[in-house]
Amino acid sequence: MDKLVKLCQDVGLLWSKYYPMYLNGVKNTLILALVATAIGCLIGLLCGILNTIPYTKNDPLIKRILLKLVRIIIRIYVEVFRGTPMVLQAVFIVYGLPYFSDNALRFDNIWSAAILIVSINTGAYMAESVRGGIISIDPGQTEGAKAIGMTHFQTMTSVIMPQALRNIMPQIGNNFIINVKDTSVMFIIGFTEFFAAHRYITGVNNMYFPSAAIEMLGYLCMTMLASVILRWLEKRMDGPDSYDLVQADQLVMAGGTYTYPGKGSNFDERSKEYGSGVWVDNGERSDR
Amino acid sequence: MDESILDVRHLSKSFGTNRVLRDIDFSVSRGDVISIIGASGSGKSTLLRCINLLETPTSGEILYHGTNVAGRSVKASEYRSHVGMVFQSFNLFNNMTVLENCMAGQIKVLKRSKQDAHEEAMKYLDKVGMAPYINAKPRQISGGQKQRVAIARALAMHPEVLLFDEPTSALDPEMVGEVLSVMQSLAQEGMTMLVVTHEMAFARDVSSRVVFMHQGVICEQGVPAEIFGDPKCPETRDFLARFRNS
Repeated sequence: MDKLVKLCQDVGLLWSKYYPMYLNGVKNTLILALVATAIGCLIGLLCGILNTIPYTKNDPLIKRILLKLVRIIIRIYVEVFRGTPMVLQAVFIVYGLPYFSDNALRFDNIWSAAILIVSINTGAYMAESVRGGIISIDPGQTEGAKAIGMTHFQTMTSVIMPQALRNIMPQIGNNFIINVKDTSVMFIIGFTEFFAAHRYITGVNNMYFPSAAIEMLGYLCMTMLASVILRWLEKRMDGPDSYDLVQADQLVMAGGTYTYPGKGSNFDERSKEYGSGVWVDNGERSDR
Repeated sequence: MDESILDVRHLSKSFGTNRVLRDIDFSVSRGDVISIIGASGSGKSTLLRCINLLETPTSGEILYHGTNVAGRSVKASEYRSHVGMVFQSFNLFNNMTVLENCMAGQIKVLKRSKQDAHEEAMKYLDKVGMAPYINAKPRQISGGQKQRVAIARALAMHPEVLLFDEPTSALDPEMVGEVLSVMQSLAQEGMTMLVVTHEMAFARDVSSRVVFMHQGVICEQGVPAEIFGDPKCPETRDFLARFRNS
């Protein structure tokens, strides 16, 4: 119990002294994770779409070779960036590029370097998620769209992608939360995110564990907030569970569920007792 | 003979070594209501899907007003916008409401204005009795209602021919009637229709011509009275006998 009280005191002390640094770290972490996830999703969408362009034996040879090539390139990209640690990728890009190009190629802005690295990483993961999202959509949806004359592009943008996106929302959320935490490795290129703040602060005093406790809580808050927002977003994308019947005749609407009787049939109320005139939406009396 | 819209000539389709369609020849004229009947696996649906180019024919020609659309040079999407299709599994777009389903094709493919598309969609939704449900998503309505929306969606494109691929096979028995009555009224209004169906009453009473398919070939075709009253092929007789007994 004593230990816990001591910890709380230390945490309070650290926070009151260094909170601008922690908060700045939180801000940088969130911005980097948000921007990189967004760009990563775009990369993933692009790869996913390019990967699923269908081709048949009847297509011209050039188209087939081109599509094959595109698929190979995407495959290499995914395998390389999914299969190596992000820390090392950061090192290779930030320190390796100037080394190989005799300083001709280098990142002066640490933000752009960090965003680039996290984005292409996220993109590699998202490429596969998007591909999964697209092939999970019932082929009937594509056929329905093609049957009314939509091109492949139109089918993708207006029918398949909206549904695929909804299906991969949990994946996007996953990636965002992973990015919030994994951006902590960006300290290696000198990016001052949340974890870098911790390293800096514990470097000038010896309160390593209390600071780690702050970090823990901080990351947990960020990721939990992200989960809540994502759930809400998913709910919104699904739309309402119920719908309203649209009836020109307001009196019929009051009856609740209503099956549509044929015009002039025995149950067609529009032509019978209300035939002399009805109250319509705007409150004016209209004669039929 | 009226002006013919579709001419299918020597059409064959194989999946691997399985020859599903063999040398099919037939034509569709304006105002025809053609029922295609036959046992499962006889190639009825494949024929319909070939006509809409959802399957690429292995050989043969499909002439649409004299132009072969099975060749490479023709843009399939352009042709498909003239030939509507209603599927067994409805295939309504799940991400759109009933109204948006009927408007999407008009806006994207026919480039109609939003207002025109809305008017057209409402006209046909009203015709199939689905006007009150325009705000519903496909997952919220019943199978019969979905199929009626699918018919309205196809009609809103003003197709020259409407293809029905077993439109009532996925429906509960009590919902079959509502879809068939919509189709019947379309037939009476002179819509050109090509219907793959297991509803023999519909084939007999509504269609102007019945095509019987067996193992990938057209065994017999003629007016309903001929096919149902005095079938020439032994396969047709066997097939129809099974329906009479049940």
